[in-house]
Amino acid sequence: MPTMEEYAKQPTAQRLARLTRTADELTAAIKGQSDAALSRRPDAKNWAAKEVVCHLRDTEEAFGARFEQILAMETDPKLGGPSADRWAEERQYLRNDATEAAGAFRKRREETLATLRGLTPAQWNKGAIHPVRGRMTIDTFLTLMAWHDDNHLDQLTRALEGKA
Amino acid sequence: MRLPEPARLHPAVEALTAALGSEQRVAVQQATDRLIRGLTDTLGVPPVKVEVLAARPHAKWGELHGLYTAERGRTPKIQLWMRTAKQRRVVAFRTYLRTLLHEVGHHLDYALLRLRDSYHTEGFYKRESSLFKQLVPEAGRPRVTVEAWFRRSQDERLARLARTPDEAAEALAGRAASALARRPAAEAWSPTEIVCHLRDIEELFGQRFETILANDEPALVEAGPADRWASERQYRRHDAASALEHFRRRRGESLATLMALPPADWQRGGAHPVRGHLTIDLLVALMAWHDDNHLEQLTRALEGRP
Repeated sequence: MPTMEEYAKQPTAQRLARLTRTADELTAAIKGQSDAALSRRPDAKNWAAKEVVCHLRDTEEAFGARFEQILAMETDPKLGGPSADRWAEERQYLRNDATEAAGAFRKRREETLATLRGLTPAQWNKGAIHPVRGRMTIDTFLTLMAWHDDNHLDQLTRALEGKA
Repeated sequence: MRLPEPARLHPAVEALTAALGSEQRVAVQQATDRLIRGLTDTLGVPPVKVEVLAARPHAKWGELHGLYTAERGRTPKIQLWMRTAKQRRVVAFRTYLRTLLHEVGHHLDYALLRLRDSYHTEGFYKRESSLFKQLVPEAGRPRVTVEAWFRRSQDERLARLARTPDEAAEALAGRAASALARRPAAEAWSPTEIVCHLRDIEELFGQRFETILANDEPALVEAGPADRWASERQYRRHDAASALEHFRRRRGESLATLMALPPADWQRGGAHPVRGHLTIDLLVALMAWHDDNHLEQLTRALEGRP
């Protein structure tokens, strides 16, 4: 699994290809799994497989909204903090159907990819101020997303094996 | 017991509603001070001190809601608890105001009616009720437009926002899960979906405030849309009660943010792709209108009407 630094060195097309594969990998990973298996948390603190799928779905929407905001502004917007665990609780991830959630992720991901593929070189360098990571360009976001996909696909496989 | 010009006290009541909604003790203390001062001034009685405390003390016989003490040579004092004993939840506005007026009733027995003792007689409860009705005129609110909400005072709008979680809870109380899940028509949301919508939109409003306050006239992004959220986030599978609790928490945070804003910040805003320039002032009017709208829809959905 490449690190963020390693992904950063990859050409745009390679990172975009990574993003393109994720929906299929996600579908394959949960295929044939019972709802009980998808809902089982490996321990008290770590997400169940279906929570990971819902997280990817909602994060994809958030990435899309950030890109839209960055592209609409002349200056770098300051972004809010992350809220992944709060979303998991509030949006009742454990009650979701994982296959449906994976389908919704696929649609959001296609939209993100369409946005990214249409960017001009100047737009790739537009950015925002992230509360933890500092200034991030859209290009850095692409790196983050590639790494984030790997990370959560791995977490999903582990969760299904009962490992944190 | 008649209050001369009760309407003059309504802004203080609205402010108290908003303060309780924010769940901030200091804000509730200030709003309670303001209302009590208004009441004693209006009735021409000596002042009474109020102390707002956190969780109610409890014992075998139940929970203590409020306490009035008058010692010779000292300003009489009312103590009020704003959270329940065990779950430490903030008391509903109507309960809080009733307790407050109950303790004020004891003060009036001594200070205005010059009674030797203050007992819980029928007359005592009638006075308490009559004060309550004058301070909180019965609803029957006609639905108003966003523009009309925009013209109303900030306190009035904030009070509207603060009442919504309780009003939604009242609407849902005692309903079976199947009734909450039922859509009144194929394309119309069920009660559960409406509550989930309020919860997620509250988060969005919170984000808008955060974005506007952290940036100088930022671009605001069109989110959702709401129907997409309902299907993507699978609202129909959610539990309405916990959705309502999360809405209440988000709403409390919105109110805390708004009440702490210096007046000038209400005019800060951002550019929305569809709605144009949105200030915080206008967003708050939108929220009030949005609440009215969905509370009505909630009532209809529970009656099986789209």
